[in-house]
Amino acid sequence: MEQKSILDSGKYLVTLQDRVSYLADIKGGFEWGNLKELFERVQELRTNLFEYSERELLQQIYSLEGRIEFAERQVAKRLRPIEIVNIVRSVQRFTLLDILENCYDSFTELGGDGEFNIDPAVIAARATITRRVKNRLYYHQVMVIGHEKGMGEEFRNGGCAKPWGNEKALRYMKVAETEGIPIHFYIFTPGAYPIEDYPGAAQQIARNLFEMAKLRVPMISFISEGGSGGAEAIGLADMRLMASRGYYSVISPEGAAAIEGRIKEGGKVPRKLVEHCAEQLKMTAKDNLELGTIDRIVEEPPLGAKRSDFKFFKRLRYEMVRATDEVVLKTKSFRAFRAYALRRQSQDKEKVFNDEFDIHIKWTLSESEKDRLLEIRSKKYRAMGKGFKVLKRPFSKRLTRFWESTRHKYYDIRYGLLRKQSKNLQKILEEVSSEGSVIFKTVTESMRAAYDFVFPAPQKPAQTSQQDPLRRSIFMQDWEQYISPLANEDRTVTCPNAEKYGCKDLWVPDLYGEYSGVCPTCGHHFPLEYQWYLENLFDKGSVREFNTQIVSDNPLGFKGFDEKLKKAIERTRRGSAIITFDAEVLGIKLVVAMLYSDFRSGTVGSAEGEKFIRACDRARTTRRPFLAYIHTTGGIRIHEGTLGVIQMPRCTLAVREYIDSGGLYIVVYDNNSYAGPVASFLGCSPYQVGIRSSRIGFAGPRVIRETTGTDVPPDYHKARNALKRGHIQGIWDRREFRKNLFEALMTMGGPNLYYK
Amino acid sequence: MSINLNDLLRKYKSHPYEDHEILAPHTGVVKFKVEEGQAVKGPSGQWLHRPGTLLYILEREKNPKRITSRFDGIVTDLRVDLDGKFVEAGQPLMLIRHRLNKQEITNRILKEVLHIFPAPERARYFFTPEISAKFEKGKTKSLSVKTGDEIVIMSLMKRDTTLNYEGPSGVLYEVYFKNGDILEQGAPLFGVCLPERLPFVEKVIQRIKTEWDD
Amino acid sequence: MKKEKVLIANRGEIAIRIMKACNELGLDYVVVYTKEDRASGHVKKALKERGSQAVYRISSYKDPNEIFSVADHSGATAIHPGYGFFSEDFRFARRAALRNRPITFIGPRWEVIRDLGSKINTKRIAKSLGIPVIPGSDEPIYSEIEAETLAEELFLKQKEQGIDKPSILVKASAGGGGMGIEEVNHLDVFRQVYRRIQNYAKRQFGDEGVLIEQCMRDYHHLEVQLLCSQHKEVVHFGTRNCTIQSTGRQKRVEVAPGFDPSIWEYPFDARKVLDDMVKYSIRLAEKVEYDNVGTWEWIVTRDGKPYLLEVNTRIQVENEISACISRISRQRGPVNLIKEQIRSALGEKLNFSQRHVSFEGTSIELRIVAEDVKRGFAPWCGTITRFEFPDEPWVRVYTHVPQDEPYEIPTEYDPNLALVIVWGKDTQEAKERAKDFISETIIDGKDSRGNGIITNLSYLYEKVDEVLRF
Repeated sequence: MEQKSILDSGKYLVTLQDRVSYLADIKGGFEWGNLKELFERVQELRTNLFEYSERELLQQIYSLEGRIEFAERQVAKRLRPIEIVNIVRSVQRFTLLDILENCYDSFTELGGDGEFNIDPAVIAARATITRRVKNRLYYHQVMVIGHEKGMGEEFRNGGCAKPWGNEKALRYMKVAETEGIPIHFYIFTPGAYPIEDYPGAAQQIARNLFEMAKLRVPMISFISEGGSGGAEAIGLADMRLMASRGYYSVISPEGAAAIEGRIKEGGKVPRKLVEHCAEQLKMTAKDNLELGTIDRIVEEPPLGAKRSDFKFFKRLRYEMVRATDEVVLKTKSFRAFRAYALRRQSQDKEKVFNDEFDIHIKWTLSESEKDRLLEIRSKKYRAMGKGFKVLKRPFSKRLTRFWESTRHKYYDIRYGLLRKQSKNLQKILEEVSSEGSVIFKTVTESMRAAYDFVFPAPQKPAQTSQQDPLRRSIFMQDWEQYISPLANEDRTVTCPNAEKYGCKDLWVPDLYGEYSGVCPTCGHHFPLEYQWYLENLFDKGSVREFNTQIVSDNPLGFKGFDEKLKKAIERTRRGSAIITFDAEVLGIKLVVAMLYSDFRSGTVGSAEGEKFIRACDRARTTRRPFLAYIHTTGGIRIHEGTLGVIQMPRCTLAVREYIDSGGLYIVVYDNNSYAGPVASFLGCSPYQVGIRSSRIGFAGPRVIRETTGTDVPPDYHKARNALKRGHIQGIWDRREFRKNLFEALMTMGGPNLYYK
Repeated sequence: MSINLNDLLRKYKSHPYEDHEILAPHTGVVKFKVEEGQAVKGPSGQWLHRPGTLLYILEREKNPKRITSRFDGIVTDLRVDLDGKFVEAGQPLMLIRHRLNKQEITNRILKEVLHIFPAPERARYFFTPEISAKFEKGKTKSLSVKTGDEIVIMSLMKRDTTLNYEGPSGVLYEVYFKNGDILEQGAPLFGVCLPERLPFVEKVIQRIKTEWDD
Repeated sequence: MKKEKVLIANRGEIAIRIMKACNELGLDYVVVYTKEDRASGHVKKALKERGSQAVYRISSYKDPNEIFSVADHSGATAIHPGYGFFSEDFRFARRAALRNRPITFIGPRWEVIRDLGSKINTKRIAKSLGIPVIPGSDEPIYSEIEAETLAEELFLKQKEQGIDKPSILVKASAGGGGMGIEEVNHLDVFRQVYRRIQNYAKRQFGDEGVLIEQCMRDYHHLEVQLLCSQHKEVVHFGTRNCTIQSTGRQKRVEVAPGFDPSIWEYPFDARKVLDDMVKYSIRLAEKVEYDNVGTWEWIVTRDGKPYLLEVNTRIQVENEISACISRISRQRGPVNLIKEQIRSALGEKLNFSQRHVSFEGTSIELRIVAEDVKRGFAPWCGTITRFEFPDEPWVRVYTHVPQDEPYEIPTEYDPNLALVIVWGKDTQEAKERAKDFISETIIDGKDSRGNGIITNLSYLYEKVDEVLRF
């Protein structure tokens, strides 16, 4: 008898030890408070279990438990964001399989059994969820799709979905659509696995978003760990719930810290900085509810729910059923929904949690209700993520002014603007490398290197001699065309392919003038400023910018970002990283959205998303083709947190509606295009083209190295490899951009273009 | 077998070095970035994408070109007197004394063991497209050749001539040029291993593997 | 004249001729050479005359960066491109003019090189000035209907002219050097050929523009030598006939003047044809304000019609035969066009005008090349062990091959051995002297297999008889 009791105590001690370790997980180690001592104490008791008398032991355990409880209360009293991240990452936290076991009555996993799975990080299951109405049970069929972190199971890859995992998710979404059953998404991912193999990390997420935008079944998502793009792959839902101790963020706090602190690869990121970033990123459930990026919080115990927290699972089941009810009811009649919502609210106010429902609601929708579902979804997302500023007066007509200033004669440009311009470009590049993310670190580094050739830092630009303006072409050829200010220097540069193709050093005025920045030997494209495209791609004088009044802001109050933003605005004399305008190509009118590198390296935040959506809608209503020219994008702007992330589903939805209306959406990537935008509103286009020498991808080599542990070849993201993998539909030479664009406008696109 | 493996190995053991003369690729002002006796590294990384040690900067027409080492080794015979001076194309600037590693010793010994097919003229050389295609598939060591086979294209004064292999039949064991290289007359193009010598060749490789410390 | 220093950006005999011209003008010069050319005559001559300070080894004659780098380092103020290499590269000339340290490009100004460098452009202006050009398109054609209409027209015209086998040429407009050209003998196959060339052009040059013109047969290739200054002076130095060419359209024997009615009978008024060509050439030169030496290339068909082909905006190999038969009153001896070219580029006036120029005798140029005429003019390479030729007052020989030691022909360049310029008081004498010269020339050499040298000497001997005969 005594023996058995002591054995029980042994088991109990294990749970106590788990509780102490859990606290250590949260606090990031045993250094906090008396955790170390508590842990040693538990261990000591476990080792010397039989040395104690039963009474002694119970007393010891009792006092120890009291102290642990005290510590727990202390920790729970003030949970800092980084501690919430730690909760989410703890091996003791519940996973999707726990939810399937506990919230659903039965489930059949589809396309997987443990390791035998195209991607064990993603689970799809047909499941039954029950509701109790006055002691009667009702069964609902649902499709459950989500990430399985598989705490301790290596093959689950920590819930990082591979491209084919997301493809699997999409396939079962379509099954649900065919069968007319709601989908419950469970998001437990630190981010998507950043590899480019077909179907491609970015491109597959984009496809998922594109389909989810108009998927004709109710979708509910629940976020425990919402890691940026990876989360969005199954995140565009009609109702978004979030665990009270979950996080949903544009980037991991470590990633953000590496960027903010400009930490070199392999370098140590200071813990303080990580904690600071975790706060600034506004990633907790409460923050996200305030930002409007989620709809409701599902309460967990103060220190978060663990794998055996049955009370929590009961709560979660209730919340999922209720959320589905609400989505369904909204499509039926607003009055029914109101009544339902009010009743539930008053129930929620009761102290005792009650998971019983008053009525049974069927989750099948008629065709007209499905239409309404999509309408509500569209409205919902269009109303989200509006963290931008609207100026009363448009942001001045900078574009027109720039236009005029560059329409001088060839020589004026050649010899006038040089010094200022080269300085600007240098600054831009410094910016490119600080912004964006670690993701792009290496990429920007190589881009910097390219610019370093063009403008070696310490040297002053050479003086250029004045030229006799009378020495013109004897035939007066079109010398009035725009010449890049980069051309304005007497020096030479080396083509990066010189060793391979024997390219000769290029004289800068030839290279950036006549050669349009293209090496005549190997065709390598040197980067050019975005203005070059404005001037050379569209019919002269046809560019008319709109929505300049929408400008970037610092909606999270991210510390230090106001200054950065101010600098970007001063330097570019623009309000956001996107320029949206009407233009013509050989007389065909089109709407263009251009992300450019000079402003926060073309990152997308609320203002950019809004302007993109408005441009998209403008193209739809005027029945014009829509071109997204991506001079460079570094991804989602981390300083706007999930308000930036939410632009992914938002913009994709607008694109989907444009394409469905019978338009033509062409995406052209130049220089560097990475991450969020590619994984959503760009990657979903049926016509994506890379300009030669451009790089397209999900994450840069550094992030790939850091997440996958393997290196990638230097040309991993090059356009031709993107073409080889099927991510883009073609590669265009810069010099033929205009011609190819015109041909595309003439031959491609839906039936609703104004000139068709 | 006329070749004495022991002698060969002894020879390389007594002087396991190879000196690479570093010549200015073109005119310009040279600024050295290494010192006499300094150890330098060649390109590294899985794809040799990380450049080697910066040896010097050659500036021509306001383009300071960074010239990096293509070999591991020690800098010797550095022409310090040329630092900051204008140099002509082909000017010797330094030597890099490179210690031969196993692979390189093996290649050198193989050159003496294999039947070498030399370049008949000073010209540019290419493999025929068929052979190139096989190389791309990685089928080098299994490529048999016999007299009369079309292996190499010689490009002389912008005219291409296909060269037929002459010599004993065997396996194309080693290649000594890259497509498009200009080779001096008599420089080795490729080495063919006679089938009966294959075991000997394998033995050479095995011995170097075990007896040589990198 | 301020002290100028000329960088000679070329090799071989033209480099030597430029050095001589510089010496005569009292100008300093520097030369460049590549590894392969270290034993070449131009290097030796420069070393002998100016010492090692005037000789620079570069990585390639074709890399403009090397030329400018040496020019700046050596303090050169002008660059003579010779012929080939940068002589007609307007970008090179433009860079010379626009760089921070400008350097005089010895040639026409870059705008002229660019604009006359385009055959289509030249054709268009020529047409506008009433200068005859080969019938056909004067800009790239992109539409099939347009192309077919033009093709039909060209066939019809030829029929009207009574041409026996009418045909037209279809060319890729962006092409050159004989690539992407096909002949069409019948209108029925035109569309097929047109599409083939269009596809080829698109693939090769990324521009599917196609040119169509009448295919000329049975013609002579003539040239008009002009010299112009920056002060709007235009002087011509008569005509040359360069009809004798290798299969690769490389000139082998040239004669000045262009026709000689005193020795052959022509089916047309040769005097008038030559005068017309000169008149037209000057008209174009004046229009574009041409400002250096240049050659206007023409073809003359059996019916005595001249057509302007193109303008070579450079000094040509065969310039000296024109110089040889030209006399300027008040000046002693024949003209040196390279000297005049340098003077003109440095901004000087000509000091004479057309009325001071007269012509005397006939001059023939022979190009001695190590090539196998019977095997499609295949180049020979090896080492020359002996090279001897007669020394006569009526002949000038330009060669970079040393006479005192063996010389290995660099394989990267064409195996040209020598240029021989013969003068005679009339065509008959010039021909005889040319043949005498050839007979007395001895060239020995061996290739790597020990076989003897192959040259085109006997081919030249045969061809001398045929010169100027239509």
